[in-house]
Amino acid sequence: MEYFHRFRQQLLSRLVLIILLENILVGVTWWGVTTYIELGGTETAALVGTATIVYAILIASVSAMWLTQPTKLIARAIMHVTPETAAKVEAPDPTTPAFGRELVSGLIHEVFELATTAEKTHQTITHTSDLRTNFVANSLPLPLLIFDANETILFANEVAGSYIGMPSTEMIGKSVYTVLDMLFPSEDTLDTWLADKKTKNATASSTWDRIKLNPAEGRPSRSFDLAAYYNRDNPDKFETMLVLFDHTKAYSQDDQAISFIALSVHELRTPLTLLRGYIEAFEEEFAGKLTADMNDFMFKMSATAQQLTAFVNNILNVARIDDDQLVLQLHEEQWGEVIRAAANNLALRAKVRGITIEYSIAPNLPTVGADRVSVLEVINNLVDNAIKYSGDSSRIIINTYLTANNLVETTVQDFGVGIPQNVLPNLFTKFYRDHHNRAQIGGTGLGLYLCKAIVHAHGGTVWVKSNKGEGSTFGFTLVPFANLNDEMRDSVNQDITRGAHGWIKNHSLYRR
Amino acid sequence: MTDPVVRNGKKVLCVEDERFISELYARALTKAGYDIVVEPDGQRALEVAQTNNFDIILLDLMIPTITGFEVLSKLRDTTVTPQLKAKIIITTNLEQREEIRKSIEDQADGYLVKAEITPRELVEFLSHLDT
Repeated sequence: MEYFHRFRQQLLSRLVLIILLENILVGVTWWGVTTYIELGGTETAALVGTATIVYAILIASVSAMWLTQPTKLIARAIMHVTPETAAKVEAPDPTTPAFGRELVSGLIHEVFELATTAEKTHQTITHTSDLRTNFVANSLPLPLLIFDANETILFANEVAGSYIGMPSTEMIGKSVYTVLDMLFPSEDTLDTWLADKKTKNATASSTWDRIKLNPAEGRPSRSFDLAAYYNRDNPDKFETMLVLFDHTKAYSQDDQAISFIALSVHELRTPLTLLRGYIEAFEEEFAGKLTADMNDFMFKMSATAQQLTAFVNNILNVARIDDDQLVLQLHEEQWGEVIRAAANNLALRAKVRGITIEYSIAPNLPTVGADRVSVLEVINNLVDNAIKYSGDSSRIIINTYLTANNLVETTVQDFGVGIPQNVLPNLFTKFYRDHHNRAQIGGTGLGLYLCKAIVHAHGGTVWVKSNKGEGSTFGFTLVPFANLNDEMRDSVNQDITRGAHGWIKNHSLYRR
Repeated sequence: MTDPVVRNGKKVLCVEDERFISELYARALTKAGYDIVVEPDGQRALEVAQTNNFDIILLDLMIPTITGFEVLSKLRDTTVTPQLKAKIIITTNLEQREEIRKSIEDQADGYLVKAEITPRELVEFLSHLDT
């Protein structure tokens, strides 16, 4: 800016000089004229006035060119560096002879310099905006996907490409759901969330854990957490942005842990087979020859072996559920008969703890659609829990009846320690156990999780009511066979009759 | 439980490599009147089964030389084995993947989880077979 200040000062001093020059010229003219002609006051004023105007016009017209040339040069310089007019205006030659040449060329240089700096700044800004979409997005070591209101991908970074196994450029224009075949662990999925947000919110964000990616042929499956940002009114037309956090390693260790348990549990099955077999053989061989004490020991061994079998089955079933391998086959079942069989089967385990199981079956119950093996697991688990938490009470009541909604409901009620209100909502969560009871009462925290999964797979619901010190009631519903969806009915191999311990072909008599 | 053994004339081949299990099954089945042959080896079991001398084959899946699943497939393959009269019951403590499970459902006549069934219950199960 130094040149601008000097330019103004010079301009001022030159203007003062011009004004002085004009005054001198006017003064000389007046002196010249009055030397030869006698003038009156009015004439003198007219002469001086006219001379001033004439000289001013003359001087102004001569000096105008001289004075405005630098301004013109500077204007051209400015126009030349302005992008809109740059093409139309040639750069001024700073060596052009002009008033205050050094100053003018200095000024032009200054304009050019400022323009270059501005250009640089502008370039930096543009560059930054490129970075936003390319450099940052591609350097982000996380898969990133951006898509529009129709779930069509607008942008995918390179990591997303290698993660999904498709060049990121190929993803553009495709539906996000075709590119990312995701398996959500619950009903809260990306599409249900988006549908909800689209109707309710302008912007929103959410995260999901443990999503599985159904990989393209030949690619290993991945597990990740998902973060989504939604903006309905984004000016760039993008509506949703997804970032994937790969936790395949951590989650597979968890999965392996459960598979490892499942594997170990298999190893338990052989000794368990033997234990139960030899207990039975022993009972048979020594029937009628044992003392009351010995009989009691046998009876306790037998009940314990049964309990161990139930435990092993729970673990295996959880492993199956987590592995999507739990296959239910819903048959038409007389529910009262199932309850009676279950109650009788569990009587031994209850009796060991001094508990009797009572049951009441409402008359005229409709047949239900049930996978007998699995629903027996549900009843076993609920009754086992009732036994564990019965405390000093000696009664367990199983009730089954038809609800107002035409569902077959079954309840298992104990009169034991009860469950504090604050832990009730967590009861059906995997590995959850009431920490107050953990020390005193054994268990894996898998039983109720399993019950919930099995009942849900039957189209029913589970619930619990409890008060500390007053016992607990667990209930679940099943759908009458007549009301079952066609797809829920067993379509697989109708010739096979399934029992709790296996299956047999072409035999209607065999029912366990 | 101590009824005298009345032979029902039915022959059972028990393919089982766990000696204690075959001992328990042999005891219970003999008591119930069956003739029982125990074979712990897969390949030999296949050969024995191919004599077509049995009414029931109890087939474990995890056995030495060739697996029970291979034995099952070969016994059901009519180019390898002529039409078998025996009913084949798989006895296992293992879990099967979907495809194996389906294949067993197609080829076997019954399926038992050994840990789920006592020898007495096995006898009851077999009594329901149409042999």
